[in-house]
Amino acid sequence: MRWLGRLFDNTVYITGVTVSLAVLVMFYYIAHESSYAFRQTFSWGYRLALLPADADLSTTPNSALYSSLVAVNAEGADGLDEREETLPAPTIEQMQSEAAFLATATTLVSEVSQIREDQLYRDDWREPKPAEREERILVLGYASPGYVHSTMYLAWEPDHSFAPRLAPYRLVLRLVRPPQGVSVEPFEIDLKRQASGRVALPAWAARSDAERTQGYVFEVAAIPQTSTFWATVRGVLSAEWAPTLIYPRYGIFPLLLATTLMSLLAMLIATPLGVATALYLSEVASPRVREWLKPALELIASVPSVVLGYFGLMFVAPALQNWLGQSLGIQSGRNLLTTSIILAVLAIPIVASVTEDVLKAVPESLRESALALGLSQSETLWEVVLPAARAGVVAAILIGAARVYGETMIVWILSGGTATMPAFHSPVAFAQSLVSSTRGIPDTIAIEMGNVTFESVHYGHLFLLGLVLFCVTVIANLAALRVGRRQVWRV
Amino acid sequence: MVEPLNALRAEQVAVETRALNVFYGDTQALKNVSLPVARHRVTALIGPSGCGKSTFLRCLNRLNDRIPGFRMEGKVRVLEMDPYSKHTDLIELRRRVGMVFQKPTPLPMSIYDNVAIGARSHYGLRGKLLDEVVEQALQRAALWDEVKDILKRPALQLSGGQQQRLCIARMLAVDPEVILMDEPCSALDPVSTFRIEELMIDLAKDHTVIVVTHNMQQAARVSHYTAFFMYGELVEYDASKQLFLSPQQKATEDYISGRFG
Ligand SMILES: Nc1ncnc2c1ncn2[C@@H]1O[C@H](COP(=O)(O)OP(=O)(O)OP(=O)(O)O)[C@@H](O)[C@H]1O
Ligand SMILES: [Mg+2]
Repeated sequence: MRWLGRLFDNTVYITGVTVSLAVLVMFYYIAHESSYAFRQTFSWGYRLALLPADADLSTTPNSALYSSLVAVNAEGADGLDEREETLPAPTIEQMQSEAAFLATATTLVSEVSQIREDQLYRDDWREPKPAEREERILVLGYASPGYVHSTMYLAWEPDHSFAPRLAPYRLVLRLVRPPQGVSVEPFEIDLKRQASGRVALPAWAARSDAERTQGYVFEVAAIPQTSTFWATVRGVLSAEWAPTLIYPRYGIFPLLLATTLMSLLAMLIATPLGVATALYLSEVASPRVREWLKPALELIASVPSVVLGYFGLMFVAPALQNWLGQSLGIQSGRNLLTTSIILAVLAIPIVASVTEDVLKAVPESLRESALALGLSQSETLWEVVLPAARAGVVAAILIGAARVYGETMIVWILSGGTATMPAFHSPVAFAQSLVSSTRGIPDTIAIEMGNVTFESVHYGHLFLLGLVLFCVTVIANLAALRVGRRQVWRV
Repeated sequence: MVEPLNALRAEQVAVETRALNVFYGDTQALKNVSLPVARHRVTALIGPSGCGKSTFLRCLNRLNDRIPGFRMEGKVRVLEMDPYSKHTDLIELRRRVGMVFQKPTPLPMSIYDNVAIGARSHYGLRGKLLDEVVEQALQRAALWDEVKDILKRPALQLSGGQQQRLCIARMLAVDPEVILMDEPCSALDPVSTFRIEELMIDLAKDHTVIVVTHNMQQAARVSHYTAFFMYGELVEYDASKQLFLSPQQKATEDYISGRFG
């Protein structure tokens, strides 16, 4: 039994080590899982189309009838299988009957000499490719025999929702070969600098299906430029969170800014109210009031946040909508402001309770000294007691902020759920984004973690979000510890 | 020249209690204490621990109010004010009655602000005038030379003795008429103690000083009158020379000769 006694003696030590280890393990786990974010392959996609010389300027490759999609799709495009997407290129006959005159076609080969007439496609979805591999896709261009103009346009633009800026490639469009007997200046276009545009070319028509391969040959090349790691980092640091798009975006900023903004706003509300409550409790209230108010406060602090969330949904959101909806054009009561208000409700008892403890620790002798000098109650409070407790009050605020920053349920219920960047360019726009639907980090993790493929890139990014959250709250808590230790009085 | 107590004329009495009873909940801290304090003199309060000396002092500037269960009966007069009257302005009372505590309690601000805060609050002084008041108070508390170059430093960086003199300067800057000192030297070294004793004697020229002390020599050295308390009762009160040389009560004699308490 002696070892048991020793065990009890060492309990404090063992507990400390265990808890520290658990935190480290947790950190390691989150960091490890977020490494899946870096194992990504990158998709890219462009639409190319030939447009007639008299084409309406609003006609774009994405809306053109016989455009070609040149793309590398990383994730296998969520259930769209390759076959469905590889449509055969239009025949000359089809083009006549559709009353359209121009077409492009892609081909799977990368050598001009290997192009075969029976392997022309309109769309060309491919297998996932790692970012490090170079990819070249040939595109053929031709008009039907009935085309009347002497020029035609080659137009290009990114596929729906593809953001060239984030691709880890140099993307180039160039003319590989003009049709025989047609003289054209060779061109090479940097698709990242000039994401969409058009160039004029002399018209060239194929007279038969077999002749389609004799016309213009263009090439879209994706040449690796950035490593997967940096491309992932750049993607994470971008401004859009849309992981379910065909070209997924994992920009953390809308979520990070939303969470930061709603926490700041919540603390802006909670700090004065919480500190005032604590001051009232510890300095002004009679013992009888204190006796029931302090437990009441702690009771509120222990209300499950889902209850607070539903309270916000039932009362605050409709109230805000009725009160400000008309004048500010609020679409829904579920927005950043509502979320902040309820987060403040969550934070007030925490700030108040910790601050009250801190104020209680200010020695009575300090108050007596101030009062004995003839300072009024409020002078004593503001000029002596609060400054003496300053470090502790800051710590209380930081503890509240850390709690609010990681809060999931309230944000989930009240934020509205759209991940959008807050606007900072004008005060009006900023105010507008304060009352519009938003989405934070914790609720995003909670919502999406359930639907995500295990150990996928999306999964890795969710853990990356978790890592950011973890770091921010740990930093806030450590800061609270640090300033809390630096008490200014010593009486 | 110290008048005998019974020769004090009414206008020579600055502070007076009549039949003062003080209770903290069920315990009675002061029993029927009637004690007139002479103007511009040093009056020492002595007695064993827990006999109610601090309680007596704190009745004079109503610092007792904040203690739960506090209750008082009887009459208190400080200058021409009745501290416990509803009409008394507490802030005015405390401006005219300064207090120094046993442990130095510098406020969490700079040395300068510690001294300035009272004058700023009571007289609205700013700028040069305030600087002068601060300097004078620090001069009088014999601290000026030590701190004149570090006025912006936090007061907590001073030594204990310096802190206590700072508390005295802080009180002087408010220009009180009555000064209450609750064992001001108990945490100090002999040199600092000596300085503060000198200051007490100096202050008594134009202030009424009431000082609590456990040090008989100190009481004999600095005070004109001494009151001996025991178990909340005022046992003996006389001119200090009288009391220390020929105490009338057995308890007093025992206490001052060190046989008790
Ligand atoms: N805050 C308080 N609450 C309850 N009782 C108190 C309180 N302060 C003092 N007392 C009681 O009042 C009595 C007198 O206390 P007081 O502090 O006046 O004594 P004192 O003469 O100053 O003693 P010391 O020389 O130790 O400072 C003591 O019996 C003490 O227990
Ligand atoms: Mg005492």
